[in-house]
Amino acid sequence: MDTSSSTLLRRAGRGIWLVAAVTALSLVAAACGSDDDGAPVSSRAPASPVEPAPPPPPEPGDPLTIYSGRSEDLISPLVEMFEETTEIEADVRYGSSADLALLIEAEGDATPADVFISQSPGAMGYLATQGRLRVLPSGVLDAVDSAYAAGDGTWVGFSGRQRVLVYNPNLVDPADLPDSVLDLTDLAYDGRVAVAPANSSFQDFITAMRFESGDDATLSWLEGMAANNAPNYPKNSAIVDAVLRGEVDMGLVNHYYLLRFLAEDPDAPGVNHSFAFDDIGALLIVTTGAILDASDQPTAAQAFIEFMLTRQAQEFYASETREYPLAAGVQPPEGLAPLNVADVMDTIDFDVLGGGLARTQELIDQSGIVR
Amino acid sequence: MDAGRLCRIWGLVLGLFFAAPLGYLAYENVRLRSDVAGILAVARTWGPLRNSLLLAGAVSAAAMVAGTAMAWATVRLNLPGRRFWAALAPLPLVFPTFVGATAFIALLARGGLAEQILSPLGVGALPRLQGFWAAWLVLTLFTYPYVYLPVRARLRHLDPVYEEAARVLGRRRRSVFATVTLPATLPAISAGGLLVCLYVLSDFGAVELLRYETLTRSIYANRLFDRPTSVAHGLLLGVVALGVVGVERMLARRRSGGFSATSDRPPPLTDLGRWRWPVCAAVVAFLLLALAAPLATLGYWAGRGIANPHRRVGAFALDGAGIAASAASTVVVSSVAAVVAVLVMLPLAWLLVRRPSRSASASNLLVTAGFALPGIVVALALVFWTLQVPFAAAVYQTLPLLIVGYLLLFGAQAANAARAAVGAVPRRLSEGAQTLGARRWRRLRTVELPLMTPGLLAAGGLVLLSVMKELPLTLLMRPTNLPMLSTDIWNSTESLFLAQAGLESLVLVAASGLLTWLLVLRRSEFA
Repeated sequence: MDTSSSTLLRRAGRGIWLVAAVTALSLVAAACGSDDDGAPVSSRAPASPVEPAPPPPPEPGDPLTIYSGRSEDLISPLVEMFEETTEIEADVRYGSSADLALLIEAEGDATPADVFISQSPGAMGYLATQGRLRVLPSGVLDAVDSAYAAGDGTWVGFSGRQRVLVYNPNLVDPADLPDSVLDLTDLAYDGRVAVAPANSSFQDFITAMRFESGDDATLSWLEGMAANNAPNYPKNSAIVDAVLRGEVDMGLVNHYYLLRFLAEDPDAPGVNHSFAFDDIGALLIVTTGAILDASDQPTAAQAFIEFMLTRQAQEFYASETREYPLAAGVQPPEGLAPLNVADVMDTIDFDVLGGGLARTQELIDQSGIVR
Repeated sequence: MDAGRLCRIWGLVLGLFFAAPLGYLAYENVRLRSDVAGILAVARTWGPLRNSLLLAGAVSAAAMVAGTAMAWATVRLNLPGRRFWAALAPLPLVFPTFVGATAFIALLARGGLAEQILSPLGVGALPRLQGFWAAWLVLTLFTYPYVYLPVRARLRHLDPVYEEAARVLGRRRRSVFATVTLPATLPAISAGGLLVCLYVLSDFGAVELLRYETLTRSIYANRLFDRPTSVAHGLLLGVVALGVVGVERMLARRRSGGFSATSDRPPPLTDLGRWRWPVCAAVVAFLLLALAAPLATLGYWAGRGIANPHRRVGAFALDGAGIAASAASTVVVSSVAAVVAVLVMLPLAWLLVRRPSRSASASNLLVTAGFALPGIVVALALVFWTLQVPFAAAVYQTLPLLIVGYLLLFGAQAANAARAAVGAVPRRLSEGAQTLGARRWRRLRTVELPLMTPGLLAAGGLVLLSVMKELPLTLLMRPTNLPMLSTDIWNSTESLFLAQAGLESLVLVAASGLLTWLLVLRRSEFA
């Protein structure tokens, strides 16, 4: 764990991260973009963590119900802290973000859920397009940089995982690793770089690339990866597992899976390589939270969202789960540089990104990479 | 009202109930205005469809051979320790396929445990475990108990008098097997094979991890961002399943005329002579692959975590009390679901065997075909239909509705096995009892139920094991704070807490082993 994570941290220290606010946003806000005062993307208001508010009076009836697409080990300690701090009782149902989004859609107005936590912006964006989310108050949205919240104010980011290239040091010379993810189409990487085209993080990354470089350039990168015989895996964890076993040399994943594998087996041969600070390959994938439109406990739900952005919760992310806290002013995991949003990001309007994930999946299918 | 008419009405109710998922899919296709014809006409549909059929066919064939062989070996051959092997044989069914496939990858893929252990012996780099053959192997090993359990029940209680008569008349052993035993067992083999086929059509865990593009994988991959394709493929899968069940029923009718005699007399054991130990070794080798291999991987993960408890990240620690609580509620919920499923399905099974009619066959078709639909589709269908009912919120995400969901998912297993159980009751015995003046309930209690018991226990056992590992419905529909092993294992696996996942899976296998022994095998042996 030591060598590899310090390598991660050192390399990551150089980086500035782009954002995977990407998907959701898309059509959504464009479609219902009436609230110009929502949170303009270019605003750089000095954001800061939410100050713990005095607990709201408990609402009568059932406990607060949270549907979480983020796994239990990451969320339940925070929910316990929330219950202690606010004396609001909360029940959590865990599942995959996509399944829970479908469940919420099927439940409609009858949904017992008040809060939805999504592993990535994709499933959240799906609910936003269905009009199932409530607009959050500006005080909540201002806690994070505007790049990490929906333009229409329907969701806010809690934490982020960085996209990296995980590699097996027994099979790869670190000197051969590229600064840009775009270089992986080079013949030197033929058959060596695993991808997970069906995985939502990979699709978020492709969506961001479409945004930055356009659909044509994105398609030719995907075609280059297909021509380079990029081995195909079902998900991030399967790639890291295969890299550690030596089945494949390296792979495109989120940073924190390797840390988990190394916690189970500290001797496993794996190192995270970060791309250059301004490279699209170093994207940040954001965990998002929202209040459902049909919630019958919006006050308690808002208290929860606010709690997730307090210093206490954000520091838990940095120290315990080793993710990037998004509330400005909270330090990232030990040894990592503060999270900056590059100046270039000011000019990017994620909300006008057309076509969303459906178009991304089309491009992936078209490229010849089997999804 | 007489019992026959009650059964008929009940059969119609069941048919309607089990049509719910297909009705939901049809409604979604209309609501989303999905261009069904257009979607079905493209290669993105034909490839997965072909793969689904290929895999389901190949796995069913292999599982029928393996399940029948294992049942035969443990019932009819004088193998050392055959009761013990018999008790272990159903257990691979309880591995959730996403756990089983992960364990096989960790064991057999390149750089895996097997390679590390065998490398001193000169075993080189193993190939990547993926594609058709990998999915075929893993699914065969985890589904053959669908054949094993009903075939075993049949063989165990087949009246030996027919085989003895054939022997006395000069038939050789092999010929007796081919002309007497096999035809008498064929309904059970074919019923089990049908369940395997439908299960493989519905499976997502194994084909996702082993990367084989089937219809179900497409339903999952497109479920959020290409809903029209997802629901069109769902409907197609439902139609394919109806076709498969229809064909199986047609074949079953054609070969009808089998005999249905059961006996409590223990079946005669064949003395294998010098083949006793080699055959036993083959049985053990098969169990090593299907049961011990995944258990070894899970045990390795658990042991590694227990040996190094301080290496945990986050707030996580191995949680023994939590696992015990989950095990307890899993055992209770799955037992209740099994009993409910058998009781609800028995009248339909009775109808099918004793009062066959077109409406009963139609109900059976819907009941059975539903088993091929992926859990997420059935779960969403249950949500959809439940919320059409006024005041549904009162039962939503409660235990009773969860049990109803399990019935919807696994009623096919109960119905199929129960049909075999009813078929084991000789009609002349019922008629004889009637002639002697025994009323309906008395006949059921004193004559028919005792004869059906082994088959009904097998039916309950199948449902029990299936519920214990069920994931998609359990995640979405269980009461919020009800701990279940399957969802715990999923949570641990998603978080890559392999030690915890390994420990929870071992508990799942141990609990189901204990239950199948206590509730199914032991009673069926001595009934």
